[in-house]
Amino acid sequence: MAIISGLNLTYEYKIHNEEGVVESTHKAIKDVALDVMKGEFIAILGHNGSGKSTLAKHINALLKPTEGTILIKGMDSKDDEHVWDIRQTAGMVFQNPDNQIIATIVEEDVAFGPENMGVEASLIREHVDKALVAVEMTEYARHSPNKLSGGQKQRIAIAGVLAMKPECIILDEPTAMLDPSGRNEVLKTVLELNKEEGITIILITHFMEEAVLADRVLVMSEGEVVLGGTPKEVFSKVEYMKSIGLSVPQVTEVASKLQKDGATFNQTILTIDEMVDAICQLK
Amino acid sequence: MSIKVDNLTYVYGIGTPFEKKALESVSLAIESGQFVGLIGHTGSGKSTLIQHFNRLLKPTPAGTSGQVFVNGVDINGVDAKGKPVNIKAIRQQVGLVFQYPEHQLFEMTIYKDVAFGPTNMGLTTDEIDERVRGALTKVGIDEADYEKSPFELSGGQKRRVAIAGVLAMQPDVLILDEPTAGLDPQGSHDILMEIQKIHDLGGITIILVSHNMEDIASFVERIIVMDQGAIRYDGTPKEVFREVDALEAMGLAVPQVSYLIKALREKGYDLPGDVTTVEEAYEALRKLIR
Repeated sequence: MAIISGLNLTYEYKIHNEEGVVESTHKAIKDVALDVMKGEFIAILGHNGSGKSTLAKHINALLKPTEGTILIKGMDSKDDEHVWDIRQTAGMVFQNPDNQIIATIVEEDVAFGPENMGVEASLIREHVDKALVAVEMTEYARHSPNKLSGGQKQRIAIAGVLAMKPECIILDEPTAMLDPSGRNEVLKTVLELNKEEGITIILITHFMEEAVLADRVLVMSEGEVVLGGTPKEVFSKVEYMKSIGLSVPQVTEVASKLQKDGATFNQTILTIDEMVDAICQLK
Repeated sequence: MSIKVDNLTYVYGIGTPFEKKALESVSLAIESGQFVGLIGHTGSGKSTLIQHFNRLLKPTPAGTSGQVFVNGVDINGVDAKGKPVNIKAIRQQVGLVFQYPEHQLFEMTIYKDVAFGPTNMGLTTDEIDERVRGALTKVGIDEADYEKSPFELSGGQKRRVAIAGVLAMQPDVLILDEPTAGLDPQGSHDILMEIQKIHDLGGITIILVSHNMEDIASFVERIIVMDQGAIRYDGTPKEVFREVDALEAMGLAVPQVSYLIKALREKGYDLPGDVTTVEEAYEALRKLIR
């Protein structure tokens, strides 16, 4: 079942001059079709300014398409009456952990969403506790968020979304500001939520190794979806990915160079384990 | 221009419940013209350390101690005439590009934004013009764009303009805190190449703070690793990225190709133990499977 279904999505920004008169327009996304199945893990790649974030903001009605339609669990984002239901269904986590935490105690921050939804007090406690368990931050429930590491703060931001019981979480470059261990923590959390809780994940990232973990990768360029498929399908196009400002994982690049020299591998190499196996078979 | 740090200790919020020792007895020397990478997990003390290099932080409040020398001058001390060191001059010599520097753009045009620093240095219009053009050329911004608003540019280009703003002060030391965070692979690569070119022109010391181990491995000649306010490793990328287990224990990592070669070596393949870049991994494996 499709949880998100977008057709002919176009979003046009108006550029105003100093007098407030529209000077020109710019289409950040153009005629995009997007279908996401319940429980899917999708990664969206694209150069800066390719329209990734604009598309993501359509999934929880932060932006509404200027043309086309997007349905979230059957709800049209253009119907104002659905806005809150849509945002509860599809929660969003942003890049900068420091911009997303508002309370002075971790558990109060996580409770902010359900409190605003009008969830009954006794249930809020349950939602918050479960969310903190899911991101493995229970022991920090009564701590101040400002002493946490970047990875821990992002996990709190994810818990804040989880406490609203979403079916889908959209993460817009959640690891861009994190150190390697913080990046691993966040990815592990995201994978667990997807595999164990069945939460639909849409991950926007510039890290190709993160996209490898997804069921499906969408590649955007100049506001359009230019490529889509499994990570193996997408990353087999090494030259194309580079031509649109992207890249491939380091092992994929090494394998592709070896193939040009005549080495044969029976699949596109995306991970260290696959490369080790492939070398073992050659030797 | 060289930087020398002697026994530097810094404590935030001393006497408050938030007291935190950010640096503990740090000593290091960076020679003129080096291209240094500074890595460490969040909170390891990297930012606190670099802010001492141009006295945004100084080791004088209670709980802090140590000295910072820029070209042999103690920047927290007094000059030959017994007057406090001219901090304006130090900040012009040691340029610091913060994280997300594009957030600090503010002028109506790219040209004016880059001219802000040199104008405040009291230079003549001709000198300012020369510096602005020179800096923008170095970061690859076209003359045709000089009169555009910096806010019309893409993320990567905005960041270049911000870096040009610091370059226009003609610093002898350029410190960049995560210059590629949030940029796409091409944008990251381009900015690092520009930084490399600026370094290759000679005479400038570059300190690159980054969480991207692949970038660090490809560009710098020396890596300083910080952990819990102290320097744990200091060496070439090849020396430092051999310490896989220790780096992971500190919340860091090594480039993906280094992990690959390590896994193959553990399987018994005869491969060099110091591979840190895609090129090196390709060469090593090409020889292996030939």
